[in-house]
Amino acid sequence: MNKGVAGGGTSGASGPTVAAATAAAQKQKSLQQRVDNDIGSIVDNFSIVVNVARVNDPPVRNSQEAFMMEVRAAKMVQAADSLLKLVSELKQTAIFSGFASLNDHVDKRTAELNQQAEKTDKMLARIGEDAAASLKEMESHYYSSLVRSNQHSQQ
Amino acid sequence: MDGDLSISVDKLPVKRLEAIEENGAERFPPDLSYDDNRVNLIRRIDFAWAVEREDSNKKQKNGETTASTSSKDASSQPWPWQNMIENLQLAHQELSVIIDLINTVEANDAVTVAGMTRPKQLPNELLSDLAVSTATKLQCFRHLGKYFNQSAKALEKQVAREARFYGALIRLQQNWKIKRHRMAASAAGNEGFYIDLFDNTLFDPKSVFRPTPLSTVRVEHDNAGMLALNLSSKACHTLQFGFVNERSSNIVKGSNRQISEFSGETNKEAESDDDSVKKRHSDLREVHRAVFDEQVFNLINQEAFVPSLGVNVTGIRENHLQLNIDQEASVFISLTSSSTEDDVKPLMEGEEKQIQSFLPNRISSEILLKQLFHEHVFVRAKNRSLSGQPPKDGSNLLGHFCMSLAHRIFSSKVLAKLEDLAKTVSYVRLMSHPTWHSRTSTWTLVVDVPQSILHTSSYVASSSQFLTKVVVNDDCINIEGEGAPNVVGLFKGKSENSYSINRFECNLADLHVILLQQVASQIIRWLHEEALIVGMKASRDFLSLSFELDQGEVVGLAAQVDPEDSEGSISWWLVVGNEVTEEYKLQREDLDGETKRFLGHLSLDVLYSTLLDLVTMCNNNGGNV
Repeated sequence: MNKGVAGGGTSGASGPTVAAATAAAQKQKSLQQRVDNDIGSIVDNFSIVVNVARVNDPPVRNSQEAFMMEVRAAKMVQAADSLLKLVSELKQTAIFSGFASLNDHVDKRTAELNQQAEKTDKMLARIGEDAAASLKEMESHYYSSLVRSNQHSQQ
Repeated sequence: MDGDLSISVDKLPVKRLEAIEENGAERFPPDLSYDDNRVNLIRRIDFAWAVEREDSNKKQKNGETTASTSSKDASSQPWPWQNMIENLQLAHQELSVIIDLINTVEANDAVTVAGMTRPKQLPNELLSDLAVSTATKLQCFRHLGKYFNQSAKALEKQVAREARFYGALIRLQQNWKIKRHRMAASAAGNEGFYIDLFDNTLFDPKSVFRPTPLSTVRVEHDNAGMLALNLSSKACHTLQFGFVNERSSNIVKGSNRQISEFSGETNKEAESDDDSVKKRHSDLREVHRAVFDEQVFNLINQEAFVPSLGVNVTGIRENHLQLNIDQEASVFISLTSSSTEDDVKPLMEGEEKQIQSFLPNRISSEILLKQLFHEHVFVRAKNRSLSGQPPKDGSNLLGHFCMSLAHRIFSSKVLAKLEDLAKTVSYVRLMSHPTWHSRTSTWTLVVDVPQSILHTSSYVASSSQFLTKVVVNDDCINIEGEGAPNVVGLFKGKSENSYSINRFECNLADLHVILLQQVASQIIRWLHEEALIVGMKASRDFLSLSFELDQGEVVGLAAQVDPEDSEGSISWWLVVGNEVTEEYKLQREDLDGETKRFLGHLSLDVLYSTLLDLVTMCNNNGGNV
């Protein structure tokens, strides 16, 4: 019975999680598929380019093949570019979805700043106390100094 | 045609016999005319050989002509038709010969080979062909290599750009909130990233904390791969605070804050990634500060129009608010673009004037203002959002601020008076007591009295110094002094009990006199105590001390306070009279039986020795008597 309740609870609670997980899995799948496609395309095109390297007898064929090579090369570059785009997409995902590290950073930063604020407060308090102490000292020095007694004796 | 020429000969006239009648009479055809003869002759020419060469057109023509002729002659002569048919047959033969020939040509291999045969190539020719096509292919591959190289470089560059960009972005992300709009990513060089500087924890639909357009900073990706910030011109607004100087109507303004130019203009080549990220950080901080300033200014505006104590709005403009602090001072708070402001000179003038007019330091006031709002509004709002408790009402901060300013101005005036006093009266010391409160100030005036020569055990408790505490709260002065007789106590005649600490309030105009009186009465008290120690009959009044001599004579020592006197302020008179009166009027010089001698400004030592002189005098008098 307990199991049933727990199962129901988790299934109810994990609805969005499940959806997110499936979405993530799907995304992963599509990314992998893209990688496979791109790499397959690169390999295929490369092997075609290599195959075409044979010099054929009728010269007409050769010029056809030259054109083909260009096309294949362009396809390879395009696949590489697509791979690069995929990498940058992954980077973006890493930036925007690395919540754990983001939270870590935020916590660390908050702690750091709090510490700094505390330190600044302490420092300000100390400066104030120092200033008060110095003021007191200087006042006592001034009132016991010759300057003052001279000033009054001149009067 | 083939050499066998056929000859046509005219029929003999015998053979021209047309018919033989039954009677044997021969009938001959009529003689033909010359023309008819010629036609007949022409008809007998064989054109067969010529017809062979004619094409079908001609034949047709012929056919037509023959048809036309035949139509003419059909009824009359049927034989030209025959001729025509023969001609056509000949033409047919001819045509079939030609078709045969064509077929033969088509079928015959020898004919074809003769036209199309390729001569067998020589080996060197073959090789050169091969070489040419190989070279072409090689060229192709070389071209391909170049293309690959080029695109590899481009991709590398792109990788480097992205690495720089994302590196910078990640570093910024550690300190700032980076968001992304997928919709806005359409523009070139912009992936739709932006940095949100607004604090979500402050968000409350009812409050003034609304995200301003300022708080989103777009991030752009420039050509060099560097991260660039798209800052609006409003991003460098600063809150300015200053005093409006009425005398010169010159607004003391200008914060000497060094405004860092936003680094968009600086040369990007020279700076490393580290520096640029740091620069971006500082830019963002600047914008963040601008956002904060704007919020503070909005709050101030909001509070300025809630009528409250201490806030008098006297002027308002766009992004500018003027407040009246007291009669002499008014301040302005404005939100200005700091980039336009570069005058440091007025600041210097202003500070000089501030010293003269008791205005507090402008920068510290600004800091106080910001600190107040930060502490009481922002931090509280944050705490509220964390703990869920409703915030304590942080309203009337502006009132508090204005009161603080007014207090600062007032207290510097008080301080000036106190310093005056301490300067003119040699035995008074002024001590400051920082209160750490913006609306309270405290000082103590200390009168140090010399140690008594005779240390009697019973008076050890008597202090060697008298304190007068001046406390200023907002704009009321509280004086708390020991040693002076309580006026009420004096009236009740219980002078002994009146040495307790007494408190009273006064205003700024009377402050100097009251303090001088306080000091003088403390000295009187001290002298009284000393006189008692040495065993004299002495009685004490508010500002005078009288010694009773034996003959009913009274010798008095009276203090006179004069705040206008720049030399000493407290001067002493020696009064010799006959009666002791309760209402001892110092100013009455025409009082009978009294002689007065002005002693001048005396130091405590001199006073003490005067007292001792009086004591000896009394004793001598007593001894004499």
